[in-house]
Formats: sequence, C-alpha cells, structure tokens
Amino acid sequence: MAIADSVYERRSRLATTFSYLQRNPSLLFGGLLFFTLIGAALVAHVVYDTSLSQPLSVMPSQPPSAELPFGSDTQGRDLFASIARGTLLTLGIGLLAGSIGLTFGGALGFIAGFFGGWVDTVVKLFVDVLLTVPALLVLVIIASAVGELPPLGMALVIALLAWRRPARQIRAQVLILREAGFVKTARISGRGPFAIIFKEILPNLLPFLAASFTVAVSAAILASVGLEALGLGSQSVPTLGMTIFWMMNFSALMLGMWWWVLTPIAVLIILFVSLYLITAGLDELANPRLRRRA
Amino acid sequence: MNQLAATNLVPNNREDVMPNVDREASPVLSVKDLAVDFFADGKTIHAVRGVSFDLAPGRRLGVVGESGSGKTTTALALMRMIKAPGKIVSGRATVGGTDLFALPDRKMREARLNLVSYIPQGAMNSLNPVYRIEEQFFDAIIDHEGAQPKSILRERVAEALAGVDLPRSVMRLYPHELSGGMKQRVCIAIGMILTPKLIIADEPTSALDVITQRKVMATLDRVQKRIGAAMILIGHDIGLMAQSVDELMVMRNGVVEERGNIDRIFSAPEADYTRLLIDSVPSFEARPARLADAARDSAEDPALLDMTGIGKVYGKSFFSGGTTALHPLTLRLPSTRPSIVSVVGQSGSGKTTLGQIALGLLAPTTGSIAFDGKPLKDLSGRSERNFRRDVQAVFQDPYASFNPFYKVDHGFTVPLNELGIETDARTQRQMMSEACAQVGLNPALTLGRFPHELSGGQRQRLMVARALMLKPRLIVADEPVSMVDASQRASILGNIRALNESHGISVIYITHDLATAYQVSDFVIVLQQGRVVEAGAPQDVIGAPEHPYTRLLIDSIPWPDPNRPWASSGRLREDLDALSDAQKVPPVLHGLAGGVMLEVPE
Repeated sequence: MAIADSVYERRSRLATTFSYLQRNPSLLFGGLLFFTLIGAALVAHVVYDTSLSQPLSVMPSQPPSAELPFGSDTQGRDLFASIARGTLLTLGIGLLAGSIGLTFGGALGFIAGFFGGWVDTVVKLFVDVLLTVPALLVLVIIASAVGELPPLGMALVIALLAWRRPARQIRAQVLILREAGFVKTARISGRGPFAIIFKEILPNLLPFLAASFTVAVSAAILASVGLEALGLGSQSVPTLGMTIFWMMNFSALMLGMWWWVLTPIAVLIILFVSLYLITAGLDELANPRLRRRA
Repeated sequence: MNQLAATNLVPNNREDVMPNVDREASPVLSVKDLAVDFFADGKTIHAVRGVSFDLAPGRRLGVVGESGSGKTTTALALMRMIKAPGKIVSGRATVGGTDLFALPDRKMREARLNLVSYIPQGAMNSLNPVYRIEEQFFDAIIDHEGAQPKSILRERVAEALAGVDLPRSVMRLYPHELSGGMKQRVCIAIGMILTPKLIIADEPTSALDVITQRKVMATLDRVQKRIGAAMILIGHDIGLMAQSVDELMVMRNGVVEERGNIDRIFSAPEADYTRLLIDSVPSFEARPARLADAARDSAEDPALLDMTGIGKVYGKSFFSGGTTALHPLTLRLPSTRPSIVSVVGQSGSGKTTLGQIALGLLAPTTGSIAFDGKPLKDLSGRSERNFRRDVQAVFQDPYASFNPFYKVDHGFTVPLNELGIETDARTQRQMMSEACAQVGLNPALTLGRFPHELSGGQRQRLMVARALMLKPRLIVADEPVSMVDASQRASILGNIRALNESHGISVIYITHDLATAYQVSDFVIVLQQGRVVEAGAPQDVIGAPEHPYTRLLIDSIPWPDPNRPWASSGRLREDLDALSDAQKVPPVLHGLAGGVMLEVPE
C-alpha cells in the first residue's frame, strides 16, 4: 500500500521553470535585458576605474573614443564611469524604496484584508486619504527642506509614500483568497491566523507580489530620477538623475554633446522596458486567464 | 489505453439490437461512424469511436455516461466545435440533408443556431454579464438574418421569452438580476429563436435543484414540441433521462454501450454497465436497517453537539433588518451513540449556513453552540485544537478546497501535524494511502499530485478521505458526493456509514438529494428559505411527508422509471402554488429519532 517513491520524483522545479519560460517570452526577454544591464554595470566596476566619475578626472567635453567609451561632460567626468556607477546607484534606490514600500504596504494589506472589521476600516481610510496626496509635491517639499539628499536618504524619502498602492492592491487580493475553500480547510486543520497568512495565502500571491515589486521598483526609480533631475538629489554622487541634472544645467544639446544626453536616457529606457516586460510576464504567471497552455 | 482497447470488443454497430425505434418518420439527424481523437503528448486518445444513430423530428435521444465517456465530445462534434488537440477523424453527420462535416467554416457558422442549436452545460455562465438579455438575442438574430428594426426584434424576443414562461420585462434585465433557473430558460429561448431542426442540450439542469430542474425540463419539453425539433439531451442522471427522453444511448470510454427505446432499456437492460447505472440510483424502497432505528431514546442523554436557538442574519444594521439566512432552531446530537443527521433543502435554504455554524467557522447571530459540553466561543489554544480534531468537514466546492500552491498531500499532512495526531512522515504517508484506498482512489495516482491535475470527483473523494483519516467525532459533510460519478456515490456514502458504525463518527450530511438522505440518515431536517419545515426520522419525513413543501421536493425527484409521471403532467402548476402556500404552513416536527432532538422556538 506504500506509495512508490517515484511519485514524489516528478519533474524538478528547475526543469518546470525552464519550460515555463519558453512559453512566457516577456518574462524571458525582460529578465535577460535586466540582468545583462546589471551584469554589464558590475563588470564595468571590475575592469574600469569608476573613480573617474569624479569631476576633473578626464579631459572635459570629449566625444566617445577608445579611451572614453561614452565621452566626458563639461566638468571632466568620465561618462562611462558615471553611467556604470549611476546604473547601480539608481537601481539600488529603486530596490530599497520598492522593498520598503512593498513590505510595509503588503503587511498593512494582509492585516486589513485578513482580519477585516474595524482594523480594515481604519487601514483603508488611512490609505485612501493618503492616496489623494500627490506624491511628487510631497517629495519636492521634503527633499527641498532636507537639502541635498544622498542616495540612501532619497530611497527613504520615496519609500515614505511608496507603500500606499501595494497596501490597497494586496488587501484586495487577500480579501478574495480569504474566502477561498482552502483557507477554510486550513482553519479546520488547526492552522492559526499567521500560519494561514504566511503558509497558505502568501505562496499563492507570490507571482502577484513579484509583479507588485517590479512595479514599485519602477515607480521608485522614476520618482528618484525626477527629483534628482530637478536638482533635489545629491549633486556629487553620480546617480543617473544627477547626470541628467548636469546635462540639462549645461544645455548639453545646445552644445552638441549628444553622447551626454543619449547615454543616461538609453540606460533608463533599457531599465524601464526590462522592468515592464518582467511585470507583464509575471502578470501572465499570476493570472491564469492570460496564461498560455502547455 | 489498454482499457480503451478492451472496451472496443463491445460491438459498435447496434442497429440489430434496437428494433422499435421510430422508423416511419425520416430522420432529421443521421450520424454514421463518428470518431473523435485527441492528440496530446505524442499520444492519441480515442475520445469517441464508432458512434452511429438516427433521430426523427420531435424525438428525444438521451446520452448518458460518466465524466470522460465522450458524451459531450459527441455533441460538440455535431456542432463542429471540437477544439485544437481534438479532431473529428472520421464519420458523417447530416441534419435535414445537410452534411455538417462537409460544410465550409462560414456555412457551418450559419448552420449553428439556425440548423443545430446547443444549450451549454452551466448556462448560468454562458450569458454575457455586461449586456441586457434582449441584446444577447439581437446578436443571434442579426448575425443570421441581417439587420432588422428594433421593434420587430423586440417583438420576437418577447415571443421567445413567453415561450419559456418568462415575462416580457425580463428582456431589459441583466443576467445577474435573474435566478439560475431563469438564466437557464433564457438560454433555451436563445437556442430556439431561429427554430433549429436539432437541439443539443448538454446537462441543462445539472446545477439546479430538483424543483427548478423540473420547471426547466417542463419548459424545454413544451418548446421542443412547439417547434418540432429533434433533441439530444446529455446528462449523467439516469432518473432524469427516464422522465424526459424517448430513446437512450449509454456511453462509456468513447463507445456506445447500449442504445434503445427508453422503456426497453429500463425494463430489460442488455449491457451490464447500463444495469449498474440504473441500480446505482438510490431508491426509497429498500432502506438498510440502522442500529439507531432499534430504540427511541430520551432527550436527557448528554449532547455531543448542542446548538441552542441558533440563527443567522446577514447585513443587519441600524438601517435595515438584514437578510435572515437561518431562523432560530435548536439541534442536539447525542454523545452516547453516533448518529447521521441529514439537512436537505434547495439552494438558499440555509443548510450550508447551519453547517458552517456547527463547524465554528461562522458565529451565529442568536443562540449558543457547545461541543461536548464546552461552549465554542470559549475555546482557545489547546481546547480549540481538541475541538478541531474532533470536528472535521468536507466542503461543498472540491475545486477550492485544496491549496493550489501545494501538492494535495498538504491537505493531509497539515492537520496531522497541526493537530498533533502523527508527525512521522513515513506513518503519515501510510495513513494517507489507506485513507485514499478507502474512498476508491489509487494512492499512487493521486497523492503527490497538484490539485489541478485531478478531477472534481477525485478531489471530492480526497476531501472525504482527509476527513475520515482524522477519525473525528463529528463530520460536517456539505454535498460530499455531488461531483462523483453515480456508480461510486453509493460506495462513498456506504463508507461514511461504515465509519459511523465502526468508529462512532457522527455526521451532519448536507445535501439536496433526498434519496441518499433517506438511505443513510437517522434524522432528517428539511429547510426552506432558512426555516425548518419538517424534521424527524427518515421513515416519517421522507417516507410519509406531511408538509406540502417536503411533498413537493419528493415529487420533483426524477425517478428511474419511465412510467412514473413527472414534469410533463399538469400537476406542476398546482405543485408550485402549493410551494407558495407552504411558507404559511407551520413546521411539522416528528419528534426524537436516533437520539437527535430538534426544536423550533416560537
């Protein structure tokens, strides 16, 4: 009567994941694009002297050449070094702000959705009121009051408001899953509320949480680049937003310095497109209606 | 595959064994050697093979079989709606002289609804939720006949609705404003609007309760007679077939097991499988003797489950009285000996609410509930765990009952671990395998799989296995066998009964099926719209019902006996009048039975 062990040795998760990726090109291409960009930035840190991103490091206003792959700006920064550091710095801000926002928002959403009642009413009211506040306005006020914000400070300021949308979305998902039959099965199986949230509901929301995370990261990157381009970020740490700020400040286009304009924007486009593709791919994974059959 | 090959030995051409099929009228539908294959994972699955039959205008052919028998595939083939991995590999089908399989795609699209119409399984989901009812008709008419003035269209829709007993005002409504039975009748009206020559109805009443089913079948019958179309009725309920078709075709594993006149099939079935299907319908005649029948006891026994004056009102607020799902009732199950209590009623009768309250998943609005003398609301920590170990459930919807993220084993191991019953993985596996075998599942083919890899019936049986494995003192089973094929239904109920007797498990069996309730239970409670209408021993409540509502429920059961009158008789309308009167009749309580006590406070 014992079950053959072979039943438990079905296709490994890895093989399943791989065959799934073949059917989900958005996720595959988005992932490839994203990790290629990060990989390139990391390799550049190893093989290239990124300290050249400081002003007066190289000959100013040079077009791309063999020594200066992305050229240099009017203050003598090596743009290749700036972009290599900026990619990781900007992404770091996005990841940090996105994680804080999703963790805090997700926790609120889970608590409100699962326990319901007055807890839900209070959380929902709080989130709904804050959702009406225009984020950029608040961020500009905070950032200008604090003065020059280093990347870490920038991430924290953005995280202040980044939790609202995840809280609302995750609450809605939990409300649906809370009524699912398997939650009742878990309840009569003796699971407590936290075991139900973390071991029963959460795993089913993983694709959704991953998609929310990439959305939160893109939104945080957008906000940070916006604030930095307005000059509210650090003007000495070479984030992508800082490069754009100086580029605008010196009217790079009027000076004909196309390389200064193109490189940070190209990196941002690659970053956003890859994050968008990953989100779309994860959406397909999370939403069985969009899922393609094997 | 081997199994399929074996059944092929049954002769497919059954012309010789069906002598008294109506031969005078020339057939409107003629199917010859239909075969449909599905190609998946490099394998070929013969879904339907060698199906041949003729059908005269105005006649009805019933097709019965279990899930996977090829009955729906046969119907879809006639509509040319077999999807991608499937293909019609051979055969001919002509409707009124038109060869369906030879039509180009565009012509076939015109033929659908015009020549052949299809009333789908689960019509409740077939209507588009964002359009009014009339617009769903307009689509069909305009697509086949071209644009027409709205006034003419409206007239035709009103006429079609009148044909299915729906008022004109329904056309301006949206699907969510209609009940399940009304939606089903709208689907019938849409199917009939272009007066097709052939109607295919695929389990048109499978999601409806017996009373609504009877109304819908009466409508279908009348409309078909009016337009004189031939009809194919697909289903798994052989009782319904006996009441509604002229000829019956029994399918299994893609081949026709037997075909013939309905009277002949029921009086002298030839295939063993047909006999099995007919015998699997529980009857009211032979009721196995129960230990509990022997003696009538007093209400003084200590109670296992004590629900005093429990009732449930939803959405009650300062401004509104809310909706009463369950009017207060008092129910006591004895602890001295196990009993099976059946709760029967139509959908919306409050039977599921009662079950949820008994499980402690739903707090009653009024009254109190205690298990083994301990009030449920005082439970916490250790005592709550003990309560969970003692009270288990089989939920209504087997699709949702397993967490889709985990393999089905999760549903078994979690309670074993959490309730501290058994923590050794090897012993757990042993227990799971035994539980599966008890409900007729092969453990090697079910355990270690994800829920979506199993059918609804398999999941339902797993839920039963899970509850039985935990050996609780009380199981609340909400429609535990609704998705299980008829041949296995009896054996699972038998299993529950055996455990009731051998392990002393009490059961609250929630169902709309009075026949099985009669078979297994010691006490029956009939609910109508949240009120108890009749309660007592099954011999009294179902054997000799006194309340008009109980009588109506029993009369609406389609019997596997073609000679017993059912929906087509004029009695339906009188019965429905009786239903509206029934709410005024006070509940009939037959008193204590099997130690179970039920009271309805004034």
